[in-house]
Amino acid sequence: MLQLILGQLLNGIIIGTLYGIIALGVTLTFGITGIVNFALGAFMAIGAYVVWYLTDSLGLAYPLAIVLAVVATALGGLVADQTLFRFTRNNLINGLIVSIGLISVIQAALLLIWTTTPKNMHYVLPGIFNLGWFIVPRMRAVVFLVLLGVILATYAALTRTWAGRAAYAFAQAPEAAKLMGVRTGLLQTGVVVYSTALAGLGGALYASLYSLEVSMGSSYILKGVEAAILAGIGSVMGSLIGGIVLGVTEAIGSLFLPVAYRDVYGLVFLVLILLFRPGGLFGAGR
Amino acid sequence: MKAGLAWLPLFAVPFLVHNEVALTILIFTYILGILAVSFNLIFGYTGQLSMFHAAAFGIAAYVTQLSMAYLGVSFWIGMVIAVLAVSVLSVIVGTICFRFKLREFYFAIVTLAFSEMVRLVILNWNSVTNGSLGINLTSKPTLWLPTGKVITVEGTMAWYYLSLVALLLTVLVCTRVVRSWMGRCFAAIRLNDQLADTLGINVFLYKLVSFLVGNAGAAVAGALYAFYLGYIEPGYLSIDQSLAIVAMALLGGRDSMAGPIIGAFILTALPHVINLGAEMRIMVYGFILMLTILLLPKGIVGLVARRRRGAPGLLAALVKPRDVL
Repeated sequence: MLQLILGQLLNGIIIGTLYGIIALGVTLTFGITGIVNFALGAFMAIGAYVVWYLTDSLGLAYPLAIVLAVVATALGGLVADQTLFRFTRNNLINGLIVSIGLISVIQAALLLIWTTTPKNMHYVLPGIFNLGWFIVPRMRAVVFLVLLGVILATYAALTRTWAGRAAYAFAQAPEAAKLMGVRTGLLQTGVVVYSTALAGLGGALYASLYSLEVSMGSSYILKGVEAAILAGIGSVMGSLIGGIVLGVTEAIGSLFLPVAYRDVYGLVFLVLILLFRPGGLFGAGR
Repeated sequence: MKAGLAWLPLFAVPFLVHNEVALTILIFTYILGILAVSFNLIFGYTGQLSMFHAAAFGIAAYVTQLSMAYLGVSFWIGMVIAVLAVSVLSVIVGTICFRFKLREFYFAIVTLAFSEMVRLVILNWNSVTNGSLGINLTSKPTLWLPTGKVITVEGTMAWYYLSLVALLLTVLVCTRVVRSWMGRCFAAIRLNDQLADTLGINVFLYKLVSFLVGNAGAAVAGALYAFYLGYIEPGYLSIDQSLAIVAMALLGGRDSMAGPIIGAFILTALPHVINLGAEMRIMVYGFILMLTILLLPKGIVGLVARRRRGAPGLLAALVKPRDVL
């Protein structure tokens, strides 16, 4: 039993980092542009499909394919920002509807190009790590470490570089930041593009673990938003921890309670957090 | 009064148009119109983006069917039970959300969470709801005519008039609510709820009333939709259904009663008018959403009202925008 719990715990943590990378995109976009980009899940699907196409159809090496997929997703994010999100800054409801429209367009485009058949990538890195009492597939461990590295690097960049501090300053006081010489338009575009690139990376790594469907991102964006709110919107490390908390809650919850309701456990947790600690687990009280 | 006259031609449509497909589109438009108009009471008039609307719609569909199956009541009693059940749930969900003063985005997320919970329960409660397979509804509602005759509502004609009258009643009720003191409280809450609170308006109460009346409208729509279609499934409560309702209100325009109905008509008719593959249809739908927000923030009604200002014709009377408060 202990072994089972530990195994589920580990699975929850690994899935949780995937939620965390989406949550990070949600938090950054919300902090800087004032909208929630619900299309991040669709950008995740773009990343996954591009990686699958590049490796399985064109025979590229997986790491190279990941880089190209992230670049492709980021370009998509740039186009979306310049044609859509530029006009919905700080308007939550308009941003929500526009990003939902964008989901439909992206999903339809993916369906037109690659049809509805689920896609399975070949095993990139077969084999397992045997850690004594439980085993971890190697690829899962790699995905976990890469995502963890990217989130930590983002945290470091936000706290240690000029651009990162500019972003923090902008989130706190947009006008003051502008007066101090922060190029706010560029910053907002940059954050939208960076968050879509993060989603693309998440999707590219996802492709090596699970089979791909066009709508694969829709549950991840919900979980990402949940994780971001759980931790308190605006906190970078919080999005990682929120993702992991959510992943572990689901994994452990479905061990003791009916699996069919695994999506409910996170939701109940979320509602309770929103009601009693609206600032999130790590945020200020209210 | 003029707006009332605009309804009359709709009653004549079945005598002029004998096209089965066109009438079917109109029936769906009317039923979904009830859904969109009642949603707009919460969204457009009170300014709260509720994601619970598809849940109210779906719960009512299931409760109507289940009370008919288990309690042996008629369709209309079943519908009343459904409206009551949805009302009780709305009070619970609304009290939780409004007591804690959730801001717009958090309100949307929490109502979404509640409707996902209900959907998952319906999806997994196989013994009662038959899970993802859904239930085929074989019975049809009956009506008592003034002559004492009992007719079964089946076939396009009967459903056309039933749904049209239901929509008319919904619009009447919502108009009465919006034009009363309640409507002015809704507007005050929409424009600035802190100011409304300062002015002595019971923000909690009026948000709850709006949520309750809106969801009750969705319940009526759910019962009618289920029995017109003859099939219920958990997809009634899906996020996509919630978003489709939002799209109807936004496309038509959220400042009037006619807006959501026009939106419902366009989104219902569109797939039939332009013959496209499934993928292209999803894409067109996405583009409509994006372009509406970017180019038509007031919806189609806003566009028409601007063009027609100063020339109150029939169309302008029908789509008369709400008095600005």
